[in-house]
Amino acid sequence: MLENSFGHPPVLHAQDLYRSFGSTTALNGVNLEISLGESLAIMGPSGSGKSTLLHALAGIELPDSGRLMLNLPGQQPVDIQELADKARTKLRRQSFGFVFQSGLLIPELTAEENVAMALMINGTPRAAAIARAGQALVALGLGGMEQRRIGQLSGGQMQRVAIARAQVTGAMVVFADEPTGALDSKTGAEVLDILLECTVGQGKSLVMVTHDPSVAAQCDRVVKLHDGQLISDSRRGTSALGGDVR
Amino acid sequence: MNILHLAWLLGRPAKSRMAPQILTVSAYALVSAILLIVLGGAYSFTSFEQEAQGAYLPLAGFAVVLLVVPLMVLGSAAAKLSARANDRALSSMRLLGATGSQITLVAIVQAAGTAFAGALAGVLLYLACAPLASLIQFQGAPIGMAIYLPVWVLAIAVFAVVVLSAVSAAAGLRKLMITPLAVATRRSVPVPSWIRALITVGGILVLSLIFSSVGQVAQSIAMMLAVIIGGFGFGLLVLNLVGPYLVSKVGASKLKKAESPQQLLAARMILENPAASWRQVSGVAMASFVAVVGGSGAALMQATPASEASNDWYDYLPGDIFTGVLVTLAITFICVAASSAITQSAGTLDRAELYSGLHRLGMPWGTMNAARTKSLMIPALAASIAFAIASTLLVLPLAGMAVIFSPLTVITVIVAVLLGLVLVRGSITVADPGRLLASRE
Repeated sequence: MLENSFGHPPVLHAQDLYRSFGSTTALNGVNLEISLGESLAIMGPSGSGKSTLLHALAGIELPDSGRLMLNLPGQQPVDIQELADKARTKLRRQSFGFVFQSGLLIPELTAEENVAMALMINGTPRAAAIARAGQALVALGLGGMEQRRIGQLSGGQMQRVAIARAQVTGAMVVFADEPTGALDSKTGAEVLDILLECTVGQGKSLVMVTHDPSVAAQCDRVVKLHDGQLISDSRRGTSALGGDVR
Repeated sequence: MNILHLAWLLGRPAKSRMAPQILTVSAYALVSAILLIVLGGAYSFTSFEQEAQGAYLPLAGFAVVLLVVPLMVLGSAAAKLSARANDRALSSMRLLGATGSQITLVAIVQAAGTAFAGALAGVLLYLACAPLASLIQFQGAPIGMAIYLPVWVLAIAVFAVVVLSAVSAAAGLRKLMITPLAVATRRSVPVPSWIRALITVGGILVLSLIFSSVGQVAQSIAMMLAVIIGGFGFGLLVLNLVGPYLVSKVGASKLKKAESPQQLLAARMILENPAASWRQVSGVAMASFVAVVGGSGAALMQATPASEASNDWYDYLPGDIFTGVLVTLAITFICVAASSAITQSAGTLDRAELYSGLHRLGMPWGTMNAARTKSLMIPALAASIAFAIASTLLVLPLAGMAVIFSPLTVITVIVAVLLGLVLVRGSITVADPGRLLASRE
């Protein structure tokens, strides 16, 4: 596999992804390479296929056709398209982290237990999982709030718990879908800083769907979708490639 | 557009809400059929001689009264499930300007309509099961054709089921908030206190006193029955007071020991609302109570010297009471299983977004299902065992050690507990998030 400008082979390599829902084409021949340590923002108007692309890249939903390769350091390349549902579920919990707009935290559990759950599902004993979860929360400025229930946290604190959960397993690729969409601008900026620090700041990749240009501007790279097609791909500090990038 | 028209538009059979609709109608059909079979059995007692009727009819009435509670629980669960299955439509109506009371009325009409469809199906189910039920023996002979009720009784029973469902729907909907944006469950978490434990101990002492003196007090069978039925009522009251406390204690213990994700999640789900957890399994505890106390009561009557009763009909009474206990147990388990299936399905739909989201994050459906199952079965197991033991201690003075060690009572208790748990466990598989939600996605 060819190395890119980051000096690594792409950690995710999507080729000719097609996906349609009835008569609507959500992905129309998307080609994309994502490097290790790179932050990528996916932008586009409503219905352009942003979330469908994120779900496809994360193995949540399979595209109708195309090829999607995962190439993590020190591991054999995996063809995500070839994996059965259970294997993709396992891949998601072991290799990927997720931060969604709604947080998706379990209301009955404490902040610490929500983070520990990601480790416990992967087989870490409870005591060790709780200890690591506590450390992750402290590192994100939530020391003293470990025992709080989700309902006792603010929106920004909830997203920090979600970020802690996404990175506590050591996942090398983190997917985020409008992670600051439900937050005010100040809290949103803080959460974005933390998210970038916990991912690209530690050599991990971040793939983020956002409609906010100021959020996208903080990423290394911005791709734009329209009617399921990738219409531009630009890197920070360079002009947009524009036109057809397929 | 009037309420009836609106209720039909929103509640008519549709593919998107097929699973909850079938589940709700089936549950009402089941309960209606059971109610009719019990009524049929009770109706057959009217052919007995006058003195026998005096003993049998109150017992049959007691069995019917026992059915009302699970029916109410079921009706409330069914109404909440209907509202859940329809949440988007109900929220949209609020957004369009419908008032909270109009929405409640629509939901109640829908629940009553569903109950009516279920009750009609229940009549058919009753007619299908009647030949089998007619083989049950009372007074030494099968019930026979007497199991078939007159048409006017069927009509009243159907009407009663519809009214009860509407009343319990109104009660159940008080726990739901239907806002223009969403339908959500009101969360009020009562904290079970040590006072409940104190009341229980006191209750057990009072009950022990009643049961131990029943032989001296009871001068007639009717008096003895009245004392036993009163004892049952008081016992059930105590049961409902101590239940949430017991569940919270068991939940806390499970939380300490939890090692797997499903154990941790289940313990937290139990502790989230011990009273709600208890309500789901209280029928199983009631079954244990009925099995031990009722079984012992029947054994006590069998031990009563024959000279005290010179009538032929009395010879059959102990055996018939035991039959009644077994029938009541079977009915209780079926009701608990039906209401558990409904409540758990409503719970899964309630958490659909979270469950689907967690699956996207990589949590297997199996883990979520195991946590959900454990959150019901742990309290059920605890309730069964605890109340079987408590009831056994309770009837020690009533029936004496001989009865406690009578194989009949012991076997009844064990079979009751096992049957109840197996049936409830089997019934809640319908609420598996992997099945219920994966098909929606």
